[in-house]
Amino acid sequence: MTVEMTTIYDEFKEKLSNITSRQALADLKVQYLGKKGQVTGLMKEMKNLSNEEKPAYGQKVNELRQNITSDIDRIDEELHKEELDKILSEETIDVTLPGRAKEIGGPHPITRIIDDIEDFFIGLGYEIKEGFEVEQDYYNFEALNLPKSHPARDMQDTFYISEEILLRTHTSPVQARTLEEKKGVGPVKIICPGKVYRRDSDDATHSHQFTQIEGLVVDKNIHLSDLKGTLELFAKKMFGNERQVRLRPSYFPFTEPSVEVDISCFKCKGAGCNVCKQSGWIEILGAGMVHPNVLEMAGFDSTEYSGFAFGMGPDRVAMLKYGIEDIRHLYTNDLRFIDQFIPTEDGGLEDESI
Amino acid sequence: MKVSREWLESFIDIDVSTDELSETITRGGIEVDAIEDYTKDIKKLVVGYVKSVEPHPEADRLNICQVDLGEETVQIVCGAPNVKADSYVIVVRVGGRLPGGVKIKRAKLRGQLSEGMICSLQEIGIKEDFVPEAYKEGIFIFDSEQTAGEDALSALYLNDQVLEFDLTPNRKDALSMLGVAYETSALFGGMIRKPKIEYTESDERAETSIENLNLDAVPFYSAREVKNVVIKPSPLWMQVRLIKAGIRPINNVVDISNYVLLEYGQPLHMFDKDAIGSDKIVTRFAEEGETFTTLDGNERTLKAEDVVITNGQEPIALAGVMGGLNSEVTDKTKNVVIESAYFDPIKIRKTSHRLNLRSEASQRFEKGVSHEFILPALNRAAYLLEQYAEGTVQAGIQSDGQLDLEPKKITTSTDFLNNRLGTELSDDEVLDTLGRLGLLAEIEAGQLEVSIPSRRDDLVIPEDISEEVARIYGYDNIPSSLPKYSKITAGKLTDEQAKLRVIKHQLNAHGLSEAINYALTSDKRIGEFSELKDSLNLLMPMSEDRAALRTSLLPHLVDNATYNLNRQLKHASLFEVGKIFKTNGQDQLPEEILMLAGIMSGRQNETAWTKDGQDPDFFTLKGVVESLFIKLNLNDRISYVKSQRFEELHPGRTADIYLDDKVIGVIGELHPLYREAHDLKQTVVFELNLEEVLAEKTGNIVYEFLSKYPSISRDVALEVDNTVLVKDIEDLITDAAPNYLQAVYPFDVYEGEHIEEGKKSVALRLTYLNKEDTLTDKDVESVHQKVLDALVNKGYIVR
Repeated sequence: MTVEMTTIYDEFKEKLSNITSRQALADLKVQYLGKKGQVTGLMKEMKNLSNEEKPAYGQKVNELRQNITSDIDRIDEELHKEELDKILSEETIDVTLPGRAKEIGGPHPITRIIDDIEDFFIGLGYEIKEGFEVEQDYYNFEALNLPKSHPARDMQDTFYISEEILLRTHTSPVQARTLEEKKGVGPVKIICPGKVYRRDSDDATHSHQFTQIEGLVVDKNIHLSDLKGTLELFAKKMFGNERQVRLRPSYFPFTEPSVEVDISCFKCKGAGCNVCKQSGWIEILGAGMVHPNVLEMAGFDSTEYSGFAFGMGPDRVAMLKYGIEDIRHLYTNDLRFIDQFIPTEDGGLEDESI
Repeated sequence: MKVSREWLESFIDIDVSTDELSETITRGGIEVDAIEDYTKDIKKLVVGYVKSVEPHPEADRLNICQVDLGEETVQIVCGAPNVKADSYVIVVRVGGRLPGGVKIKRAKLRGQLSEGMICSLQEIGIKEDFVPEAYKEGIFIFDSEQTAGEDALSALYLNDQVLEFDLTPNRKDALSMLGVAYETSALFGGMIRKPKIEYTESDERAETSIENLNLDAVPFYSAREVKNVVIKPSPLWMQVRLIKAGIRPINNVVDISNYVLLEYGQPLHMFDKDAIGSDKIVTRFAEEGETFTTLDGNERTLKAEDVVITNGQEPIALAGVMGGLNSEVTDKTKNVVIESAYFDPIKIRKTSHRLNLRSEASQRFEKGVSHEFILPALNRAAYLLEQYAEGTVQAGIQSDGQLDLEPKKITTSTDFLNNRLGTELSDDEVLDTLGRLGLLAEIEAGQLEVSIPSRRDDLVIPEDISEEVARIYGYDNIPSSLPKYSKITAGKLTDEQAKLRVIKHQLNAHGLSEAINYALTSDKRIGEFSELKDSLNLLMPMSEDRAALRTSLLPHLVDNATYNLNRQLKHASLFEVGKIFKTNGQDQLPEEILMLAGIMSGRQNETAWTKDGQDPDFFTLKGVVESLFIKLNLNDRISYVKSQRFEELHPGRTADIYLDDKVIGVIGELHPLYREAHDLKQTVVFELNLEEVLAEKTGNIVYEFLSKYPSISRDVALEVDNTVLVKDIEDLITDAAPNYLQAVYPFDVYEGEHIEEGKKSVALRLTYLNKEDTLTDKDVESVHQKVLDALVNKGYIVR
């Protein structure tokens, strides 16, 4: 460096040491490196030098420029950091305040239950079939082996619209219609969820409208043991791995044999509690082997084909699973109720809520 | 059916506890609903002999009794009017207990020591309804000599438990003690003792003739005559067994009729022979409008389908349902005609239902009584009348019609039973199981032939045999398996079902919770938010509020919003997926239309401390609906057209939703009058025909390469009449710029003081892009100029 250069650089260093803001630093940069700056001024001296001297001189000026540039950059970085530290120290928030609300709604508990049941049976190759809520007497009763004079018609009080038209009392008409569609050829594997209606006065345990989900399998060589195996798998999936299934003889006009299906109580594990009324078992399904009359009426040869059917009430399942004390909660649409069903759940674990 | 263990043991030995009996019967297919234990909560109840009765010196209604309790004689103060000396009574001793938590202590009543209590039947747990008239107002007094100090419950035949059966309609065979004994035998083994029938017929023949005018209505009718009966209370054991079965004892003749009914399941009727008014019994259909007074004193107007028992002229009983007042057995009855018959079940059912007269008798006739028990029951009643009413049994049974006593045959095979059940039972196991049921069966050349007695005429087809075998073999012993299908098919949701789940999830994510409302509604709500003004109505609604099937989902959702906001919730956002019903007349199936509706009321997404939040307006909900259509890939085909179709909605803030050129729904703000009537603040709703939406097939996603070239935006500010719709401007722009225009959207709409009245300013941003090449300013200018020209030509002022 020439003496002149050394002087310039020392002066620069002196001034730089007094810089406290990025603005002052920018001004200093212009003062030395700008178009009219001192270092730029040195370059202009080049023209007065001989060709031999020029390269060495240019190199020295560049060296100076680089020193100054790197000094400025270094200080700039320091100052920037100082400034930012100051801003950041002022920008602290209370992270415990609530976030901006994004409301989310809940699925209806019955929908949760039905979706779970559907998904299980889809896994076993079933399809989901839906049908009419207003039905003909024929599909609701007669095609299910319940002729007009049948005493079992007493079992379900029906909302009639006219002599032949009614609100379906179960989802079984979907089975009858589906069998008819299949024109006597299996396999049939369906799950039928839907709303059903009975002439009941609404109270804590009765509702004139509720939901049902039924399953139907028809093929060659379907046994009662297949029903038992299927429902055992189902009980484990829905209510936990340790669940056992018990069949008790019962009666439905559309199945023969007919059974009630109990599962071992998921609250007390069979020891007896208020959920299972001290019996250790909870009645959860009605089921049986499809009555040959039902198969024949729908065009299936009942000597070649057999099948099983089962039905349950998602309302009841929801009430048992969650410990809901009044069926009317399911139809009141109180958001304090529905919104309890927003979170996801893990499957197959103990139900602690009951 | 209530089954007393003590009574059942007279038919078959039982060597298990009552709990085990109950459990095994339940697992065998008859649900035991409850066990009524007559010994429950009773302690120190003994038979007492009342030696003397003296009036209490201080109290008119009280008596001081000296009562022998076997080991000792105690003084008991008794307030019952019927207490008398030299009688055997029930006494609870000091330190004893009675149902209802009653503890008996030594006491002084008006100065007199009382050591125990003489009991009424009610006090030891008998329901008032079943207590014989004679003991209703006082203590119970034994009708025969007893041993003082003995256990009173045993003396009363109440050291007993009663199983209450909840019978399914197919188990009529268990509507009798004998039937229950057969069931018990099938489950536990053991021989059955049939009731004793050992009367002596007199030399005199019965004289009543029987004639059935319609053998379909009355296939068989038989009668016996018993003369010179003495009307008095029946023996204690019979009375108590009736009480335990839920029947109140009346007198020996009536009690015997009920007792035999319970033994055989065969209802009998006792006529006062001398009140019949002839020597004939003729059964026939009633004449339409014929009147007849049943023994409850009510005059009944009969229909031509009712079956009556007559004396040849007028009715003396309504067959299988109720006897007539004119021929009722009374205290003065001397001679009795016992009826035992088979009536057509359906006729009895219709009559008993129409007249609402359901009785022990009618419920058995309705299900069809067993032919094999008709005559034994008749003879048993005759025997009991001879024994306990001192009657003389006249010779012969009078009857008309035929009994069908030939067992029916069901032919099946062990293979069939194993196939249906999934078992591997041997021939011997099958035969053994059927044998336990008392069904004769044999196997020859692979054929299984089962004989069905009439008591089990509910068994008709091979599947019925499979059920009997399964339930006796035990469902626990049936193996578990999974079906082996003839063809494997995959299970899956249909496109519509899968999309419906997506819609529900998305609405949840937008803050709407899922509602499920009743489909039945009040007539008044029909037509709200709907062009369907006619409804499908129930024939016999249970209430006005649930009389008709809904024509829109919105009325109940509005109610839900009101309900929630009235319960201190700040907002209510709900949706429902459900059907509405378009009537085709009451005797046709309606059209069922799956709808989706939603409501938003109250401030949404409110963050109190930041003051964030919105009162839901048309555009809040429109955003939700648009998001659904984007998800369903239909948004490009959806348009909104201002609508005033429904008076429940705000006339200026409501739109019909179109899919292509079809109206599929409505969205809007509730009309101020309507929402005020429902106690709501600003509220928005929408309803869509989901079937139209789900029926659209939109195929698969078509992927486009990402453009390497940047897009260019141009803004246009317009001054237009305030009636001009942004959609119209957008359409004009889109038509004018066929190339490069990627998107056009409004970013500012202004109407107000800085602009001429009746005008508004609309600013739109247009985005141009050439996916294939860099878009030059020149390219953009050429298309954008066409847009500007089109806008100017339309008369809009471009600013």
